[in-house]
Amino acid sequence: MTFLQKVKNFVRSRSIHVAYVDVGSCNGCDIEVLACLSPRYDIEQYGIFVHNNPREADILLVIGAYTPGWEEKLRGLWEKIPPPKAAIAIGNCPISGCLFARPHTLVDPPVAKHIPIAAQVPGCPPRPTEILSAILSVAPAIFADYEVKTK
Amino acid sequence: MAISLVAYIREFARWEWARKFLAARTAPLVIPPYFRNYPELTGKTCTHHLFCMMACPAPGAIDVIRTPEGWQPRIHIGHCIRCGLCVEACPNGVLSSGRILESMFRDNTRLSFSFKIDVDLDKCMGCGNCAVACPVNKLIDAQMSHGGRASTDDLLLKLSDGKCRVLHVEKCTGCKTCEHHCPNEAISVARLLEAVHAPEEVP
Ligand code: SF4
Ligand code: SF4
Ligand code: SF4
Ligand code: SF4
Repeated sequence: MTFLQKVKNFVRSRSIHVAYVDVGSCNGCDIEVLACLSPRYDIEQYGIFVHNNPREADILLVIGAYTPGWEEKLRGLWEKIPPPKAAIAIGNCPISGCLFARPHTLVDPPVAKHIPIAAQVPGCPPRPTEILSAILSVAPAIFADYEVKTK
Repeated sequence: MAISLVAYIREFARWEWARKFLAARTAPLVIPPYFRNYPELTGKTCTHHLFCMMACPAPGAIDVIRTPEGWQPRIHIGHCIRCGLCVEACPNGVLSSGRILESMFRDNTRLSFSFKIDVDLDKCMGCGNCAVACPVNKLIDAQMSHGGRASTDDLLLKLSDGKCRVLHVEKCTGCKTCEHHCPNEAISVARLLEAVHAPEEVP
């Protein structure tokens, strides 16, 4: 492994930028993502920063059961994120549609049909601890030695 | 003044302090065992009453399957919202999650079920599918002809004057078979859950 790669690995492990997008949720999961920023969970001590700008992001947190309004937008948003990148589905909604997956509703889960999802955090809503652990375990798996792996 | 300033700077110039300040991380908090989590099997025998499935508010979160050891509820992660209603609804304590079973036992509470059947007479076309499909009707009148016409009034659902009538709602078991067989979405069954304290008769 080159020295440059080592530096990249070190920096990437300490600076994970997160954007989140709500594609039609009840807001419960958004609140839990917000709770990750609070002093009790303190997401920034792990070097995870919530910026909510896809062009700066490494990780996209997808929340919600995918309503028709997102048809063209979510894909575009995902393509704006520079690689290496990963999307994490937060909550039951992007996995199964949760309580909204009933006949005669317009939602179109799972979100994995629309963009590639690297990890899923089930729960309605998942606890901040679970969101944090998911980000912390996905990030090294995707970002470490990225250039070596994709060569 | 000067001495205190020096002491102050000395304190913060310590390597140990600087290292902690820059690099300290706490491990993510662990979830305490008394938090409600996905329900787990306690090992008690499931009697296939299906109260868990009736109480569950999330589509596809729980089903009861037949295994070589007998009936067994399965929780589907990704669908289950960890509400714990299935734990409370089960009359045998087959499932457990957090402190629910303990507090139910301590406070002597139960969930009791009742069912309400609603027929939209404007949508009902009197086909009788519901009355024929209903398993309770089947027990009362196994000979019921197609169209749901029968001579007895003991039936739960019966067709009269070209419309579906609910005669004995108290016999309903909440299975929703009628709802699934109605071509017009005219009949709907509501399951009403009620928490009761110190029930005289335990289901
Ligand atoms: S998973 Fe539950 S809490 Fe999260 S957005 Fe969906 S319904 Fe709301
Ligand atoms: S905890 Fe709630 S959502 Fe999960 S299976 Fe039981 S009743 Fe259904
Ligand atoms: S819910 Fe089941 S028992 Fe009740 S009326 Fe419908 S089919 Fe009959
Ligand atoms: S199945 Fe529906 S349309 Fe047919 S009799 Fe029953 S309620 Fe009416």
